[in-house]
Order: sequence, then structure tokens, then C-alpha cells
Amino acid sequence: MSSQIDPRGPRFGAGITAALSLIGFYLQLEGIAASATFTLGLFVLFAWNVFLPATHPYALIFQKLVRPRLSAPTSLEDVRPPRFAQQVGFVFSLLGVAGLALGSGELIVASFAFIFVAAFLNAVFDYCLGCQMYLVLKRFGLLGK
Amino acid sequence: MDSLYLVLGLLAVASFAGLVFRATRGRGRELSGAELVDLERLPTEKNGVPTKVLGRRATLIQFSTKYCGQCPGVRRQLAQLEYRHGGVSFLEVDVTDRMDIAAHFKISQTPTVLVLNSNSQIVYRVGGVPHMNEITEELAKLGVA
Repeated sequence: MSSQIDPRGPRFGAGITAALSLIGFYLQLEGIAASATFTLGLFVLFAWNVFLPATHPYALIFQKLVRPRLSAPTSLEDVRPPRFAQQVGFVFSLLGVAGLALGSGELIVASFAFIFVAAFLNAVFDYCLGCQMYLVLKRFGLLGK
Repeated sequence: MDSLYLVLGLLAVASFAGLVFRATRGRGRELSGAELVDLERLPTEKNGVPTKVLGRRATLIQFSTKYCGQCPGVRRQLAQLEYRHGGVSFLEVDVTDRMDIAAHFKISQTPTVLVLNSNSQIVYRVGGVPHMNEITEELAKLGVA
């Protein structure tokens, strides 16, 4: 059996991601240069979660500050689908970075918009878009084991 | 100012998607003229032990994966139904490494639950965590007391 986590952890992180991506979306539309910070920031946060999840600031804040204030989780979830969802997010943050490199505002806006919708659905509705894609992508043979 | 409308639009789209998801989650649908399930070709299990016993009146089949967080809870609830009602058999299929089966039944999320009648024909299907009262109603239609 692979490791199990408190499902509220990823939801907490998704809430922060949703806020960051919405701010970035607005700044980019307004043509404010600070949006580049958000594009790069999201890229770093997703990359961190994909490559070094244990030391991620979201995970540390959740463990140290949030979870002690919550009741015990009613159920645990497998770590693989949310981790896969982070990889999906990483790919879309990469799209934003490509937009920066190519000077394409549309790519940057699309990247923020997708990240926001996925993170918002996860945080508010407990619907993990990336997790749902896992089985479908695997079914069509687009993912290895 | 236009950017602010786009931000609100993005929020509205994400909220709408979330509400649609919430309204349809766990909602099943009745099927007529659907296929007969051949248990000989399905790796059905009960508590991890291969079992191929059809219920006298109805059979519940739950498709799960090893990384599915909500599957164990649904398994417990459906096993309770089997225990409480006569003529019902509850079986589980692990599709983690059987994408051929997932593709055949067009499973895009786990758990997915099928209700079969006494001829092993699929009469009801629900993706996601089912509403147990709906399952009970379906069983009642099949003559389960």
C-alpha cells in the first residue's frame, strides 16, 4: 500500500494556488509587469511539489499551522492522484513560462486561467480535475504505470 | 476595468462548473437494454478473495483502483447492503492494472458502481460516491426486500 495523506492538505494548497493564479490573471490582463513574478512563482511552487513534495511550503504550513486546528480526518486518500494533479499543474505553469519566453500574453493568460479553474474546483468543491484525468489518461495509454 | 469583468467571468465559469459537478456527483442513471455482464471474464473479488456468485435478485459491482481514496468507504457501505438484504451479492473489481476492463465499461472515475438484475444485465450505473438511498431504491425495484 502506498502512502496515505489527509485530503485537506492538497485542498489547502489549492486554495493558495487559486488565489495566486487569479491575481496573476488580473495583473497579466492589465499588462502589469509584476504578473511575471506570479508566473514564475507558480512554476517554482508546482516544480517543488513535483520533485520535493515533503519540503514544500504548503505542506509545512498545513502540518504546522492548519492541521493542529482541525479535527482528525474522517478518511485518508492515496497520495498518487493529488501528486499526479500537481504534475498536470506543473505542465500548465510551464505553458506560462513558455509564454514569458516567447512574449505571448495569450499563453500566460491561458496558463493562469487553467491553473485557477483546477485549483478553485479543488479548494471550493473538493473536485480534483487532475485526479479525474488520471484514470482517463491511463485508459488511453498516455501514462505509464 | 475590462480585466475585472474577465476576472469575474473566470470566477463565474469555475463556480458554474463546480455547481454542475456537485449536482451530478454520485447521481446514477437507469439503463435499459444494456449488456449482460459475464462474471467469468471479470476478476471479481469479495474482500480480496476471487468470487463469482451472482445475487439471487441483484448484484452490485464496484470498480475500484488502489489509488482511489473514497473506494474503501463505499465498499463498506455496499457490503452492509449485502449483509442486510437477502438475495444481493456485492462484488468488487480492481481495475488498477486492468485498463482493458476500464475501457470496456467506459470507467472514467472510481468508484463506479453497477447494479445488475438477476440475469446479470446492467440496470443502473453510478460514477463517483453513490447516494446509498438511490442504490436501495434500485434494489427494491429488483424485488430486494
